[in-house]
Amino acid sequence: MALLRSPAAAGLFILLLAFGAAAQDAKRGEYVSKAAGCLGCHTEEKKDATPYAGGRALKTPFGTFFGPNITPHREAGIGAWSEADFLRAMREGRRPDGANLFPAFPYPSFTRMNDADLKDLWAYLRSLPANATPSKPHELGFFYRWRFLVSIWKWFFFTPGPMVADAAKSAVLNRGAYLVQAMGHCGECHTPRNFLGGPKESRFLGGAKLGETAVPNITPTRLKKVSDAELKELLRTATTSDGDVLAESMSEVVRNTTSQLTEQDLDAMLAYLRSLPALPDEGK
Amino acid sequence: MKKSLLAAGLAVALVSGSALAQMKPEVMVKQRQAVMTLMGKYWGPMAGMMQGRVPYDAKIVQRNAGFLDNLSRMPWDGFDAATKDVKSAALPVIYSDTAKFAEAADRLQNEASKLYAVSRSGDEAAVKAQMGAVGKSCGGCHESFRQKQ
Repeated sequence: MALLRSPAAAGLFILLLAFGAAAQDAKRGEYVSKAAGCLGCHTEEKKDATPYAGGRALKTPFGTFFGPNITPHREAGIGAWSEADFLRAMREGRRPDGANLFPAFPYPSFTRMNDADLKDLWAYLRSLPANATPSKPHELGFFYRWRFLVSIWKWFFFTPGPMVADAAKSAVLNRGAYLVQAMGHCGECHTPRNFLGGPKESRFLGGAKLGETAVPNITPTRLKKVSDAELKELLRTATTSDGDVLAESMSEVVRNTTSQLTEQDLDAMLAYLRSLPALPDEGK
Repeated sequence: MKKSLLAAGLAVALVSGSALAQMKPEVMVKQRQAVMTLMGKYWGPMAGMMQGRVPYDAKIVQRNAGFLDNLSRMPWDGFDAATKDVKSAALPVIYSDTAKFAEAADRLQNEASKLYAVSRSGDEAAVKAQMGAVGKSCGGCHESFRQKQ
């Protein structure tokens, strides 16, 4: 009480509370960043690369995208952004200047994240050390360079807005759907795309072809052959029960994301995947 | 004396030289798959330990790392061009870009022998880090050269 009588001390007290709360948000945000797998695309693929300083190449039929620096550096990173700018990027796929972001940044998935998670994630990104590595420009095909054309793509394939819980389903299934669809953005690779790069929703998680490599069907058609215990072990260690090692693209997801999830979240994810319609494998 | 030596030498040369060439492609595929299966057998328990989900056991790690080191050198001559048409998960690029495949094979052998070396040092953290490197070399090769299942 004596402490609060002095205005200076009271001010300090409130400031400390605010810092404490920010640290809490950042800590939750760190978990969000893992569940959303930000690290993979926003970190260069080499030993001792600085996390979140950008540089990973993502090859697509439309050209090669480079994950940008998302540390709080004012010029190289997103240090000049406000929280509202960040929310708009994640939810609407727009830069602070209003230009479209390319959907290689999976905002069609991230748009479904809720405000609380996005704000925590922002708090976490703000807490990272600023890194001065400049982001590499994308190397895109002639027709795909124009950001305004992305508006057309968005009109076809993009529905902004957070996910609304399905009241008819359990809390576990809703959490699982949120982890898979919004944060985990599993469909970005496991759902096939049409020639415009839009997802074929009727084949959600039914397996796809990424360049030369086939990405497996993760609907119950395939999952029913594997027990929950085996699947969990796979998502923790990238190793099957007979010691086989997953390909590196998924192994990385396991290292950065699925092995970092809490037991409850992993259970929710599996429960949700098992609740999906079993899609037949597409003819090769 | 000389004659018999020469004959013996010739016999050895013939047998060893033709051993692979005469082997049926189906058999070669079966054998290299058997090596992979055994790698899985000895890798599996280590993957759990790396994650901390299975208690770390230095003895098992040392033994398995030794087996893995040997196994990592075995499968490669089984990826002979003669096996190209045998049905397996091996992608055709193995036979068209042999240099890239050989590089991936070398990577595994290097990482596996390093793992065996650190497994004898008893430094658990270093062993786990090296397990990560081995896992990456497995997954890296599966990424480019094996059909996803």
